[in-house]
Amino acid sequence: MDWVAVALTEDVPPGVVIPSRIEDTDLAIWCTPSGRYHAWSDRCPHRGMRLSHGFVRGETLACIYHGWQYNETGSCDYIPAHPKLTPPDTICVPTYTCAEEGGVIWVSLTDTDRPLPALGGRTPVRSLPVNMSAADLAAHFGATTFTTIAVVSDVDVLLAVQPCTGGTCMVHALAAAEADRSSVSHWLENLRATLEGVPA
Amino acid sequence: MNAAIDNHWYPVAMITGIDAPRETLLLGKKITLGREDGTCWVLDASGAELPTVERFGHLWTSPGQPNRDLFTIPEADNPGRRLVDVGSVKVKCSPLRAVENFLDIAHFPFVHTDILGAEPHTEVDRYDVKIREEVDEVWATKVKFYQPQAAKSAAGGITTEYMYRVPAPTCSVLYKTCPPRPGEWDIITLFVQPLTDEWCEVWPWMALYDDDSTMSEMVSFQQLIFMQDRSILENQIPRKLPLDPGMEVPTQADMTSVAYRRWLKKIGYTYGAQLVAA
Ligand code: FES
Ligand SMILES: [Fe+2]
Repeated sequence: MDWVAVALTEDVPPGVVIPSRIEDTDLAIWCTPSGRYHAWSDRCPHRGMRLSHGFVRGETLACIYHGWQYNETGSCDYIPAHPKLTPPDTICVPTYTCAEEGGVIWVSLTDTDRPLPALGGRTPVRSLPVNMSAADLAAHFGATTFTTIAVVSDVDVLLAVQPCTGGTCMVHALAAAEADRSSVSHWLENLRATLEGVPA
Repeated sequence: MNAAIDNHWYPVAMITGIDAPRETLLLGKKITLGREDGTCWVLDASGAELPTVERFGHLWTSPGQPNRDLFTIPEADNPGRRLVDVGSVKVKCSPLRAVENFLDIAHFPFVHTDILGAEPHTEVDRYDVKIREEVDEVWATKVKFYQPQAAKSAAGGITTEYMYRVPAPTCSVLYKTCPPRPGEWDIITLFVQPLTDEWCEVWPWMALYDDDSTMSEMVSFQQLIFMQDRSILENQIPRKLPLDPGMEVPTQADMTSVAYRRWLKKIGYTYGAQLVAA
């Protein structure tokens, strides 16, 4: 599978966990205090609690329900109800391939040897949910993939499209450092209005 | 029609809260309830009368033919107790998830931080659990846990002893150390009305020894606790309770939940249960 933009790094500072998704796969995206990003299944193996409601402690992600702590490989390291127990290796959270590039956190749900998308030095402007599928949005621009879509019109923008549940998507817009950010932001809002068929 | 599910008593209202007739859901079906001349009534969707029991401040009914009387809590009748109708909270989860959460103590330090638990007091010692065959109920006894603020009436941190009882598939009774009266038990119950298999109305009820707190203080204390639980219950995946082992990972601290799931399976109670791994 190809890379998908799941969040902007500015929304996941060190020590923070947030929810995200790729289609029907719920993700917990978190950043260790030392700045490494991880994308995991958003479900604690113990009692199914969403890990995105948890908290980062040291270099582990802890579940909010019973405080089980998972190390960076996804293995359970510590069960507070049984502090003397070494948890068996079988208790682990499914993890996904995750990388940071150009201020965007990218995830592949399967192992991949594809290179990360080339961003041409652009950086994120903003993310906006759009009520349209990622595939339809790509088709609107005549693109065959939605990982990144280069748009050159009155603005120079790169769109990284994240497919979400129910045929919706999240569009992350990137632009050159010298670009006028507020006009890119407006352009994106107009694009959404056009795509969703509502007057801007 | 499934006798293993229908032939139980279910809570559907707090008696003092019934004024005009109103509709609600029971097991996914519409029912109507009301009170006339001090007596409560319940009708099913076709207008047929359903059996009723008024007990523990609540109205109970059944869409089937219950083969036994609604359970009792004899200790609740002891003089000096204050009976507290807490009200209700609607929760988007399986009724079975709501009961299982009530049976769980390991979450106290993380979900009810500085009230029912606090780090580093997280260890759960071994306790006793069994299915009492003669009454067909799940019981957990000798459950002990350190609590910073065990009840509205507690002055400071104490090690609280708990006994849990599951007398019906969607009900649980908790007997808990009573801070002002050592040797007696406070009683806190969780009566769950299955609106659907993924949506429930939780009616907590208490019979406490507490001469100092006002009624509204006791109610607010318990409501705060349930609001904290709701933030968990609405974020567990799946919403239904997995009864088959494999999908979730229990530890020794979860012996009560393991027994509860096993008992549900034994009695064929599958409403709100997830039977195959999704
Ligand atoms: S559900 Fe995550 S620690 Fe229990
Ligand atoms: Fe709780």
